[in-house]
Amino acid sequence: MKRRLPWWLGGILMALLLLFTFSIFGANRPLGASTYVPYFAGVLFNMDPQEYVYLQHVKNPGAWEGVMLLGALVGGFLTAVFVTKSFRFSVMPTAWKAYKNSSVLSRLVWSFVAGFFLIIGARLAGGCTSGHFLSGMSQTAFSSMIFGGVVLVSLIITGKFFYKGDAK
Amino acid sequence: MSLTERIMDMFNIVANEGHGSIAVVFLIGILFGGIIQYTRVDKFEKIAGFAMLKDTTVPKMLFLAIGIASIALFFEVKLGYASYHIKPMIVSGLVVGGILFGASMAILGKCPGTGPISIAEGRIDVLVGAIGGIFGGYIFTKYYDSFFKPLMGESYGKETLLNTLGDHASWFVFLFGIALIIIAIKIPHIELLDEADLSKLTEEERTEIEANKKFEIIK
Repeated sequence: MKRRLPWWLGGILMALLLLFTFSIFGANRPLGASTYVPYFAGVLFNMDPQEYVYLQHVKNPGAWEGVMLLGALVGGFLTAVFVTKSFRFSVMPTAWKAYKNSSVLSRLVWSFVAGFFLIIGARLAGGCTSGHFLSGMSQTAFSSMIFGGVVLVSLIITGKFFYKGDAK
Repeated sequence: MSLTERIMDMFNIVANEGHGSIAVVFLIGILFGGIIQYTRVDKFEKIAGFAMLKDTTVPKMLFLAIGIASIALFFEVKLGYASYHIKPMIVSGLVVGGILFGASMAILGKCPGTGPISIAEGRIDVLVGAIGGIFGGYIFTKYYDSFFKPLMGESYGKETLLNTLGDHASWFVFLFGIALIIIAIKIPHIELLDEADLSKLTEEERTEIEANKKFEIIK
């Protein structure tokens, strides 16, 4: 059994999943994966929707994505354990060690900070890689094309200046 | 409401919302997680590697998926099996959000969809990133009215190629889709691989990668 799917097969399968999610046989809505975060924050911090209006906006899509993400955790775990055999505990990505530094503390602090701003950014724009790139651009939405263009530029500029050019 | 009640509430909302049963939504999640894990595009080396322009697997897969889906979705909607759900053009929100999102994605090496899948395969650093994300969600929710909503600016509508280009719009959708598929194929496939995962591949898969020659292995 193959341990890894080629990019083109992954792209075709992802397109089919997207079409299924959009269709009335599936969920009749786009695929998204960042609204669940403020929704979970509301649940975990026991925030009152009466007081925080944003929780009312994200109530339905947040719950939908919450259930979807639980499925993704299960699907990811099962595939990692039984198919790709890639399940292992680690705190340090190999490429971080090669192109940034070998400090675990540095990796964890940067992870926390980047995780924080990743969600702030996604919520400001109203979507992420799934909601804007995959779902939005498939609908030829201008909002998603603007987001996609800005993200690509910001991603590559950060990649250039944040990491070292040569592996140590 | 208690935590348990709020979690039960999540399932109740999905059960009553009419966007697929709990089982269908959960299945969509399983497939989403499975496809991303199986293609290994949730790896730091794939996403941060793309930011460093050392790995092009993510843009190739993403552009191909969008190219195919944009053309197929057009027909799906035409036949009445789906409808469009467009996000508004909140220009400053999109630009400021996009800058923060792109920079964070390069540093964390994940996005909000791939992150949980990495956690499911045992990546503790991403779990720490997710805790940061939950705090981000908390702060955003808390200061939405006073700070973030004004920052997002006003919406310039929900425009798309389809509703702005008039009679011939459908041709532009095909052009858009085909252009993305061609771009996906034409981007040279370079890879940044770590030995820990490379060692899990079958002999045949390793030979395939080595035949490609455009790759870099790190330990």
